Amino acid sequence: MALPSIPKRFFQWYCHPSLQESILGDLEEQFEADLSQFGLQKARQRFLWNVLRFFRKGIIKPADSRKYNNFSMIKNYYKVSMRNILRNKTFSLLNVLGLSVGIASCILILIYVHNELSYDKYNTQYNRTFRVLHYFGKNAAALAQEDKVPVSEFQVWGNAPVADALLDYFPQIEHITRFTSESSWLVEYKGQRFQENNIPFADSSIYQVFDWDWIAGNPQTALSRPNTIILSKSLAYKLFGSEDPIGKTIILDGEDPFEVTAIYEIPANSHFSFPGFISMSTFINRRPQIFESWGYVDFYTYFTINENADISQLSAEISKFCEKYTPEMPWYAFRFEPLAGAYLNSEAERQPGPTGNKNNILLFISVAIFILVIAGINFMNLSTARSVERAKEVAIRKTIGSRRKALIFQFLIEAILLTSIAAALAGLMIGIGHGYLEVLVGKTLPMQWLTSPSNILIGFLSVVALGLITGSYPAFVISRFKPIKVLKGSFKNSSEGVWLRKSLVILQFTLSVVLLVGTTIVYKQLSYLKSYDKGFDANQVLVVDYGWDPYVQRSLGYIKSELLKHHAVEGISASRATPGEFFPNAGTGIEGPDGEMVYHDPALYEIDEDFIPTYDMEIIAGRNYSREHPADSAISMILNEAAARLYGYVNPEEAVGKSFDQWGREGKVIGIVKDFNYLSLHQRVEPMALRYSTSTTTSRLSLKLNSDNYSQTLGELEALWNKLVPNYPFVAYFNDSNFNKQYESDERFGNVFTIFSSLAMFVACLGLFGLTIYSTNQRAKEIGVRKVLGASISSIVKLLSYDFIKLFVLSLLASIPISTFIMDKWLENFAFRTSFDWWVFLLAATITLIVSLITMSFRTVRAALSNPAHILKDE
Amino acid sequence: MGRTSYLGEFEELILTMVLYLDNEAYGNTVVNAIKEHQKREVNLSSVHITLYRLEEKGYLESYMGGATKERGGRKKRYFKITNAGKVLLQEMKDARTNLWKLTPQLQFQHVS
Repeated sequence: MALPSIPKRFFQWYCHPSLQESILGDLEEQFEADLSQFGLQKARQRFLWNVLRFFRKGIIKPADSRKYNNFSMIKNYYKVSMRNILRNKTFSLLNVLGLSVGIASCILILIYVHNELSYDKYNTQYNRTFRVLHYFGKNAAALAQEDKVPVSEFQVWGNAPVADALLDYFPQIEHITRFTSESSWLVEYKGQRFQENNIPFADSSIYQVFDWDWIAGNPQTALSRPNTIILSKSLAYKLFGSEDPIGKTIILDGEDPFEVTAIYEIPANSHFSFPGFISMSTFINRRPQIFESWGYVDFYTYFTINENADISQLSAEISKFCEKYTPEMPWYAFRFEPLAGAYLNSEAERQPGPTGNKNNILLFISVAIFILVIAGINFMNLSTARSVERAKEVAIRKTIGSRRKALIFQFLIEAILLTSIAAALAGLMIGIGHGYLEVLVGKTLPMQWLTSPSNILIGFLSVVALGLITGSYPAFVISRFKPIKVLKGSFKNSSEGVWLRKSLVILQFTLSVVLLVGTTIVYKQLSYLKSYDKGFDANQVLVVDYGWDPYVQRSLGYIKSELLKHHAVEGISASRATPGEFFPNAGTGIEGPDGEMVYHDPALYEIDEDFIPTYDMEIIAGRNYSREHPADSAISMILNEAAARLYGYVNPEEAVGKSFDQWGREGKVIGIVKDFNYLSLHQRVEPMALRYSTSTTTSRLSLKLNSDNYSQTLGELEALWNKLVPNYPFVAYFNDSNFNKQYESDERFGNVFTIFSSLAMFVACLGLFGLTIYSTNQRAKEIGVRKVLGASISSIVKLLSYDFIKLFVLSLLASIPISTFIMDKWLENFAFRTSFDWWVFLLAATITLIVSLITMSFRTVRAALSNPAHILKDE
Repeated sequence: MGRTSYLGEFEELILTMVLYLDNEAYGNTVVNAIKEHQKREVNLSSVHITLYRLEEKGYLESYMGGATKERGGRKKRYFKITNAGKVLLQEMKDARTNLWKLTPQLQFQHVS
């Protein structure tokens, strides 16, 4: 058996020749022994290990000094490069600054993108975790089976019994867990009361699926008993301060005692996060029938499968599963979605937390690439511009006998040196910028991963590569100069390579305009969203959230009339939810145009007769609920236009007077309300039923205010509330600010995008400045002669800028299709989109042009003002 | 009586092994002998390095020979202990024996 050749060659390379034979002999002997004892693989490993162990002092042959006399030359390159960099400080500064801003922006974007991509990966069973997506609709089973229902019509939110049934049916499922949608609770400890809006119920098995940090308590038993609650670290701190919360009792909703059994922390990169969970058994005790009902929707179901199982096997059996468990429910189907796609790739409705946006990430990655390209081009152009000034140095070196290869080497070393300095500076900028970026995006962005050994190596290699790429062009161009021409004084840069420089500039400005168009579109879309006529007027509507408090519910009529007595209150309405907030869906039957009852699952608002006027909604047919029709509460229903269409009415007005059947209430549809955007404008208006609320199904009061002094009014209302409802705190917010919170992430995105676009623009301007230096230097004599002949300063500035304008027009043309393509993709996020007007391009172009001309003027004006005598005396 | 040079524990072990192996001492046999008699796994490279160092110090000398098939026809570097080496080992052994004579009888305390 021959020795493995690579380690052997390595050994022969480093080993001292006089020792080689005997050691290699010994090694081979041992290899043969290992081979018969342990087998080939182990023997090879041991051989490699031995070879590596021999790589030590005493065995390695001494370095042959004759081979390395280049070393002093490299030292010289370094010295000359350093001198060059220091001699021309402004130039080097421009160069390094542009590059470091580019690198820093790029890496900051990378940090952000990395964080977005890292969601849920903290779970050790990340690749084996899935969740159930539910679909409720006509012929669900048949349609879903044939993949005719797009994922976007499924919802993450589903029923309770599916979890137990899945665990029962599929042996591949290891752990399964559920949690409900969040609800609000009045949390009380030692007389302190807080309203907590986001506490769901969760199965005791939640720790088996998700790997949160358990700070205190035993996760295995924490949620097994009724009336236990686990708290997040921050909520625990809010309630208990420095006390140990484990085993303490808190009062929920003023009556039920709950024992705190564990403290947890959900990592920031989780696709859902709640401040607390109440044990599911509490919920089961309260309403056991829900856990038998396949039609009651309130649960998120996640599960893990064992390592050898394949989710596609499970998916293939869903229809059999449905036949077994839900044979009489053809309107129900479900499918599985991997946890890996839950944050970025899920199109399903009713997510348990905010989801990320794949398009935004793509946009950010393109911005990062754009900035890096712009910075690289900038660097090349500036170095080339400098080459004119260095022509003489090169000529003399060549005359003395420097080879072209050596010159190229020299310039590459210089480029790598500059990129290294830029990288170091970029590191500093990242350190500073990271904090700002976290504030801008409103998330913690871990960056420890950047300093892993492999990433440091990659970073180091990238810096060298960047230096090589950006340095290669000047290196090859400058080293090509003919010494005779240069030294004779008739040096003029060759016209070759001009096209390359020009196309680089075109590319640079194309990217800048694209970024600027992008920024404009993002802002245009954001203001469009905010000014869009949502179909209701939430301006100056104050929402008071009393969290289903039974006392308020009982005395609702009295409280309403008392609050209405306040002079600033123009209208008041009690409802289950207000626009922009969480709402349930309800299985609803409406008589179709053909007289048959049709069943769907529209969104549900429960409102009183004052809701529609308070929010200034428009009834397009029929009438509103009215006190003059006392039977409204039992036999009437209002739909929105989308719902009427869903049930088959092309003209929504025709649905008025048809029968309905919903949640045990039957009667007639009495009115159709104009579609209003109760969700963010990312989505279309979905069908909705506006049911007449009983007092027990309300949790909020909406107060239409008219006041000149809101802080005073709010103070008065709070005092009034505390008198009327001593047991529940006054929790109030303005509906429009709450509604606009839905656009917070869009707004953040806009800000981040703007900042990086401006940085890109800044870097591009540095490049343009460098190019202006280059062209004015080249044409210095021409300018001199022109001045002598009487040219005015403005005509010279015009002449120098003209070249650029030509390039600029080309850039503009190229940027139009690129930006249209990219921004169209981004706008697909929104159901309601702003238009792509021509003035957007005009604006972007004008800004770019003005900024560029100003940048150039620093140099062109100086050139035009220069004394021709100084320039021309050279000859 | 003072010695001018000292040996480390590992050096002494290797030197002794070369003495013990007589005419058969080269890298692999030393490793195997240590494994066999001392129940100790040592790496070939450490043995080699130590052998060279001892040669440099003058306690060992080496000669090439004994190529076999399983070595790919390569010669072995055999090591032989020099007189200086023998003297040093003897001195070290004597010094130790003398020290032992001076110590009270070795008794292990009974641990209750």
